[in-house]
Amino acid sequence: MRVYLENLTKEYEGRKILDIGTLLIEDGALCGIIGPNGAGKSTLLNLIAGLIKPTEGSLLYGEGLSSSAPFREMTMVFQAPYLIRTTVEKNIAYPLKLRGWADVAIECRIEELTEELGLTNFRKQKSWTLSGGEAQKVALARALSFRPRLLLLDEPTANVDPSTTAEIERMLRKINEKEGTTVVLVTHNLVQAKRVCKEVLFMDQGEVVEFGISETLLRDPKQELTKRFVAGELLT
Amino acid sequence: MEQIAIGFQEAIDLLITGDAELYEIVGLSLMVSLSAVILSTFLGVPCGALIGTHNFPLKNALLRIIYTLMSLPPVIAGLVVFLFIMRRGPLGMWGITYTPTAMIIAQVCLVTPIITGLTYNIVRDKAPKVKSLAVTLGAGRLESLKLLIFELRIGIMAAIVTGFGRALSEVGAVMIVGGNIKGKTRVMTTYIAQLKSMGDYSTAIAVGIVLLILAFLINTFLYNVQQKVEK
Repeated sequence: MRVYLENLTKEYEGRKILDIGTLLIEDGALCGIIGPNGAGKSTLLNLIAGLIKPTEGSLLYGEGLSSSAPFREMTMVFQAPYLIRTTVEKNIAYPLKLRGWADVAIECRIEELTEELGLTNFRKQKSWTLSGGEAQKVALARALSFRPRLLLLDEPTANVDPSTTAEIERMLRKINEKEGTTVVLVTHNLVQAKRVCKEVLFMDQGEVVEFGISETLLRDPKQELTKRFVAGELLT
Repeated sequence: MEQIAIGFQEAIDLLITGDAELYEIVGLSLMVSLSAVILSTFLGVPCGALIGTHNFPLKNALLRIIYTLMSLPPVIAGLVVFLFIMRRGPLGMWGITYTPTAMIIAQVCLVTPIITGLTYNIVRDKAPKVKSLAVTLGAGRLESLKLLIFELRIGIMAAIVTGFGRALSEVGAVMIVGGNIKGKTRVMTTYIAQLKSMGDYSTAIAVGIVLLILAFLINTFLYNVQQKVEK
């Protein structure tokens, strides 16, 4: 799903924390957002997710560039996953039930996703008994269950081990390639951005500093700030 | 001490012999308190959830009023309800003075603020996360509220148990609006108060023990439900 932002600003208590001129995330993109702490990455993601409203400007979605957020076609995975206090499979089923899927279809989808993410043995387990990595995989499975057209992720691998990170990254690449899902990933990990994302957006102090093909941008940034960030001179 | 020992003995006798008057009083106590708690739950839980998830003008003032009403003296609640329902009151045409209906209304006035206030406090802490989750999974307003109540069901259950405790043990309000009429509006607490004023301490203690046993059994049941939900 295409996302287009124009003259978008967000203010908190009179302080401008986000100021984006124009930004187009193309349909089918796998876009990473990088930048130091306080750059506005999560705010941008929350705006796209419709969790907060912009102070000014327009935020448009889809081919028709609609101004109303398509909540039923997009979703977000948070850094600290919030799972419903029930079993793993009921968590995955929740968005499908909201969309009126038939029980048989729900069962098939749960089976497919739990198998894909190595959660088959956890299906009946209560969500609060899971480890951090398992919980994040369940959150991802739940987000992917209804085949969203836009998937937003806010540092989903910040608190998980390397093997879970690899699984999540593989899944993101797969749904982007096979299902054409547009993926926007906020990450502090430059290696991950390079490994997973096709495009990378570098932000600082609420503004987009540079946006381009990830390999090129991370290898040979054009802007001085991006160079300093990639070289590790700006605090992440 | 002797009175208490006799009271224990009498309580056992009353329960074993199946004293008809006592069972009637127990039945009415349960009917009034449970009805009041059920009504208060339907009023208080959605209200607490809505206040906890929305910002609106005068929210702080409303919360202060709810907190004040949480510690509302039962006699005041009883008096206000009585003034409304007495023959010359604005709701006098209902003709419910000295009836169990009036007692239920008085208890709803006492219990609803407790359930609302406690629900609000539980919701306020957890609502932002649950709301964000619901929105990002495509839930509408009603579905979000349902998810929130589902997620906070253990805390809400505790609020309901607290409200039930208040209803069952309350005496002032039901005395004023019910009048403690034998066979009609007499409940355990008003009966205990009457027995005490008549100097019949051992029977008063016996009824008190029955009341405690009932409270224990109901709380045990609710605790077990809570535990099952938690597992």
